[in-house]
Amino acid sequence: MSAGWLAIQSFQQSQDLLAAINTLSIHTKLKLAGINDEQRAKSAKKAREILAAFLETFEKVVHQAEQARDAPLVGVDPRLRQLAKSFVSAKHDTRRFHSALFTKPISDMTYLLASTEEKDQQALVECLAEFRVLVEEHIHTDAYRILGEI
Amino acid sequence: MRGILRQSNSSLLREIEQLTSALSKISVPAELSTYHRWVTRACNSLHKQVLQNLRDLEHSTDDMLRDILSETQRVNREFQLYNRRLVGPILRWLDSDRLCLRIIAWSHGNHPQTQGIPAGLSNEEFSIWPTLRYPIVYFMPASAQYGLLYLPLLFHEFGHLLYVCHEQEMDKLVRDLQEEIADLLEPVSQRNDLQAQEAARMRKAIVETWYEWTQEFFCDTVGFTIAGSCFVHAFSMYLRMVGRDALHLPQEELEFSRHPVTWLRIRLLADQARQMGWSAEADELENEWDTIAATMGVKEDYYGFYDPKFLPSIRKALDDMLEEASPYRFTDRDVSSSEWEPESSTPVHLLNRAWSVFLNEPSGYSDWEQQAIAAFLDKIAFVHRNLGAMEARAKCSLDRTPCLG
Repeated sequence: MSAGWLAIQSFQQSQDLLAAINTLSIHTKLKLAGINDEQRAKSAKKAREILAAFLETFEKVVHQAEQARDAPLVGVDPRLRQLAKSFVSAKHDTRRFHSALFTKPISDMTYLLASTEEKDQQALVECLAEFRVLVEEHIHTDAYRILGEI
Repeated sequence: MRGILRQSNSSLLREIEQLTSALSKISVPAELSTYHRWVTRACNSLHKQVLQNLRDLEHSTDDMLRDILSETQRVNREFQLYNRRLVGPILRWLDSDRLCLRIIAWSHGNHPQTQGIPAGLSNEEFSIWPTLRYPIVYFMPASAQYGLLYLPLLFHEFGHLLYVCHEQEMDKLVRDLQEEIADLLEPVSQRNDLQAQEAARMRKAIVETWYEWTQEFFCDTVGFTIAGSCFVHAFSMYLRMVGRDALHLPQEELEFSRHPVTWLRIRLLADQARQMGWSAEADELENEWDTIAATMGVKEDYYGFYDPKFLPSIRKALDDMLEEASPYRFTDRDVSSSEWEPESSTPVHLLNRAWSVFLNEPSGYSDWEQQAIAAFLDKIAFVHRNLGAMEARAKCSLDRTPCLG
């Protein structure tokens, strides 16, 4: 019996996150450039909700991972555990990751998601870009398990 | 970069159109029609997302190209999931699939949260892809699909879908169990040397491994709860000749293993059978596995990943998870020795009857099975009853698809 359930669930979660990141990033950049993107407004709102909901859960997992490095992460599936560990490592990799998401509490990004201030939207675009790198690196393992190697 | 993206999206668009065209030419039976429509709608949705990428390329600034690149890669991955895996149950469709699809539809129809969720069937080791956004696929080895004996194992896979439907509560119950196991593993005195550090690392590995193990034990419990003894027979028969791995894994392979050692799963199934008052059957099951292990000279050892002192906590966690998921529970009639009646019996009764005939009248089993399958497939009413609910569910799940572009 195979544990494909874990790979497909993690794959779906990463795909959903990437869809939300990309939609919101494009929408925010168009707005900052003064280009009307009304047709994507509804999707962008939904993307904010998806990201905010995920970050709320993720913050708790990352907190657990940071608090006690030798203690087990419980009630969390192994792929999300891995993403949390990658996130903690990324916070120490200041050469690659220097947006507010990796230098400030995760809840700050939730604030940025809701803010309409231009400087916050600039900061949000940076957070989204770096978060995307982390998720794109993460999805590779699941995509390989599900789709195989080309 | 803009030119590369334009070219790649155009190519993707063409591939999606080719697949959609192939899907439209295939005629499937009622059992697969909702799955077919779900996949077709998903491909249409991907088509729209690629068109959005092409529109974005026309209006974008250069700093948006990275976003469109990521979005193109994401849509491509999504398409490949359908192209390589999820269209399989439609393109490889065989008349024999109807047997498994009926059993799956019956399982889904018996639970309020899975009612109407359509599923496809594919060839591979027993597995399931249980998500609420993609169509559900059950995997089964080819030969197991043609008879009745191994169909009870689908109920284990159904357990994974139940877990997803109740994920938040389930994760909480698993966390409680992991915390209890962590407490049980805590040493009486704390030292601070290399040996103690290694012991702490092992405790962490054991507790984290129990996330996946608990879900597998839960799914075994779901299988047993739905189907009773036929599940135990199918599980044991299917796995007992796998080899040494079914009885023992080295310590390093146990760390973060996705499944518990099968022998341990047998122990827990026997424990559940005893709790149902089936002591003789439980003893027989364990004796068979003990005999195989003794013949191979394998000693039972889980290297601390399981200890009998965990059992009360495991039992409680599984009971609580079962209460939360609330699957169908086999009835007295389902496990009785009475003959299966196509008009009034459940599929569980049929599967228990199959094992009874197979074990007690093996020479006549093949003929009996052939007739029983034909009678079961003639009973078409429930499929039509379920179609309306399946349609509604498929539409609802597609509406949840984050086609954000």
